[in-house]
Amino acid sequence: MQNEVELTPEAAVRAVMQDILGLSEEQVAEFTAETELFGALPELDSMAVAGLLTELEDRLDIIIEDDEVDGELFETFGNLVAFAEMKVTE
Amino acid sequence: MTSAPAFVSYEFADRKEFCLSVGGQLSRRIMLVPPLFDEMNRMRKMLVDVMQALETLEVGSILPDLPGTNESLVPLEDVTLTDWQKAIEACAQQHEISHIASFRGAALTVANLRQIDHWIFCPVKGATILRTMLRTRVAADKESGGNTSLAGLTAEAESGPIELAGNNLGSALFTELNAAELPDLENQRIVRLESDNKPGDAQISGSALWLRAEPDDDPAMSAAIAQDIANWLDR
Repeated sequence: MQNEVELTPEAAVRAVMQDILGLSEEQVAEFTAETELFGALPELDSMAVAGLLTELEDRLDIIIEDDEVDGELFETFGNLVAFAEMKVTE
Repeated sequence: MTSAPAFVSYEFADRKEFCLSVGGQLSRRIMLVPPLFDEMNRMRKMLVDVMQALETLEVGSILPDLPGTNESLVPLEDVTLTDWQKAIEACAQQHEISHIASFRGAALTVANLRQIDHWIFCPVKGATILRTMLRTRVAADKESGGNTSLAGLTAEAESGPIELAGNNLGSALFTELNAAELPDLENQRIVRLESDNKPGDAQISGSALWLRAEPDDDPAMSAAIAQDIANWLDR
């Protein structure tokens, strides 16, 4: 068995975005805090958002409550990373 | 040179269910058990690519439909996780299968087959699958002006049938899945993606196709999966 390695919240968000959007590692590496998400990326529909939240819970070992999820969370890549960073320190 | 996929069947609960079969004439054979619900649709092309890659490595494979899914005539609402486990057991017996590769939530359907060798790809707990489906329903309800919650829908699903992301789930299936932990089998090899940091026996480079908005494929990943399965059968 290989050992579990620590994953930073930002790396986890980047990896999940890469999988949802079907992008390369290089393309996702270009995402900055200002990169717009919901509304700007047609692949990111409500079902994809549902998958994204569950996958982040799974990869970062966090629980995301209903009332923590609003439109603002998915406005930009930076918002999502900041949220993930906040959740892992809770 | 790969042959055309064929349809074979297995009997479960007095019905015939379909299996896709590739390389049925080959002596080395494996059963692939598909992911559950929407993940099955998003990964079916990838699985068929794995079956064809396996054939070039002289491994035949079958991909059964779980009762209530794909071509099955049984309503999903009437199906339980126990049914799925018994169906996979029946299919394995009828097709003389000694090795099973299960993908994602399929790992939950093979938990009782201790005499079989298991290859398991990115296994996921039942509660995790349901959580995504519940979230999709909450988002859909919100868009249509409703107001539901994960906890409220869970309570509803435990007492009666519920529609989640286009699937009608009976309360038995929901309750069983919600409690279903990953099996810990004696003869298992767990394979994960390189981007997945959880413990496993091997990692494969590729994408989490179950997250994709539309069904997609990843030929390099399918080839790597087939190669890993063939090496595992040879060990």
